[in-house]
Amino acid sequence: MRLACLLAVWLSVVACAQTASHDWTGYYMQARGRDAVGLKIISPNFQKTVADHLQPWAKLKMEETNGIADDTGAVCLPAGILRVASMPYSGNFLYLPHGDKITLVYFQNASSRVRRIYLNQQHPRNLRPSWNGHSIGHWENDTLVVDTIGFNDKSWLSADMAPHTEETHLTERLRQIENNGNTYIEFAGVVEDRHALTSAYTFTRYYRKEKREMPISICADEIQMWKDWRNDELKQQYQHAREVK
Amino acid sequence: MKKSLFLAACFVVSATLTCAQGKQPSAPPDLAGVYQAIPGGTTLPGGLKNSGSPNEIALLPKAAAEAKAVNVKDDPKRTCQPLGPFRVMARDGVKIELVPATGMLVMLFEDNLLGVMRFFYLNRGHKEHVVDGPEPGMEPGPTWLGDSIGHWEGDTLALDTVGMNTRTWLNDAGAQHSEALHLMERIRPVLGGKYLEYKMTAEDPNALAKPYTYTRYFQKLDQELEDDICTDEP
Repeated sequence: MRLACLLAVWLSVVACAQTASHDWTGYYMQARGRDAVGLKIISPNFQKTVADHLQPWAKLKMEETNGIADDTGAVCLPAGILRVASMPYSGNFLYLPHGDKITLVYFQNASSRVRRIYLNQQHPRNLRPSWNGHSIGHWENDTLVVDTIGFNDKSWLSADMAPHTEETHLTERLRQIENNGNTYIEFAGVVEDRHALTSAYTFTRYYRKEKREMPISICADEIQMWKDWRNDELKQQYQHAREVK
Repeated sequence: MKKSLFLAACFVVSATLTCAQGKQPSAPPDLAGVYQAIPGGTTLPGGLKNSGSPNEIALLPKAAAEAKAVNVKDDPKRTCQPLGPFRVMARDGVKIELVPATGMLVMLFEDNLLGVMRFFYLNRGHKEHVVDGPEPGMEPGPTWLGDSIGHWEGDTLALDTVGMNTRTWLNDAGAQHSEALHLMERIRPVLGGKYLEYKMTAEDPNALAKPYTYTRYFQKLDQELEDDICTDEP
């Protein structure tokens, strides 16, 4: 009887310890250069990896896309999370676990915005496509396995403007690791899209836990410059279209 | 019988031990959730209702003259720029999400560009606005949203914000403020946690004739924030 009691208490302590060990709360920045020494980065040239997996129509569309005029992220509008692996700062995030939900608040909040990972749930039926899709997750020991679907087709897979469809499926395995005295979250991702990719591509990225607070980025600080730049590009596009006609 | 009592005691002990940090009797309320400001004319049980408005603030003569000179067509909201905490929290139907985390509370806005997001640090005092990171677009000095800290007083979260720049207005009429603007907010759950009572007080010795307080009630919603896209007004 006493043994059963001790077991119950011990199980409670273990349950608490496990919850605490998954508290990765903090600000994480993508490891680059010296910060990435000792880390196994798969697909370091992310744009090339993505481009190598594009179906012909997607490659053609990528070549026709104007990186300024067509980039919503440049004018403080959402741009999705699929391309953040190829962009500095865009993917830096604040990791906020609370109850059965993990919230990732991105540094460039105007473009990457916020991502919510619902633990131990299923994707709802009839998802309305969105910029960051719908993410569910579960713990496999110390690894957080995240499954994301429901993306809209307005964002790009990489900074090179590789397109995708609403069929895009992102699977990620997140784990916290130590390297050179720093703490990192490793993102090991697999991207599938049967309508845009010839086959799935994989990548890893590492985000170092910072000892400081995440600053709040205000896109409006630069918004007029970006808008002017974008409008100039759009004017040139319209002019070109008229001349072709 | 004794065995049953003993087992029951064990379960009580283990249940108490389980995640005791989050279950202490004195633990502050869990404010996590999505909330929306109730409409102006609504009265909740107990006579609770919104009161005050940023448009009612009393300005010092110099600030009043500055406000008169402002062209309301230059309103930051027309170009989807941040409105600043004092003004954005009073907006009709403003929708927010509160995300509690270790040592901080995060406030997200459905209208991402007008509200941006706010971080309230619960374990420190105000700090100097020193940029110590490599992120682009970060400059030393006052910021759009200032530096926000907070602490619990019973079931009320008391928040304090200083260090805001002067690029935001205090109201729709273009009332300006100085870098001495000081915001004090108090948030507490009411009506069984179905609503939040939110009180905002602003003081600015360079712009306001006296401190001003408004109250808003936010209803807890069973939904998530969506991607609300702010587009420029023509």
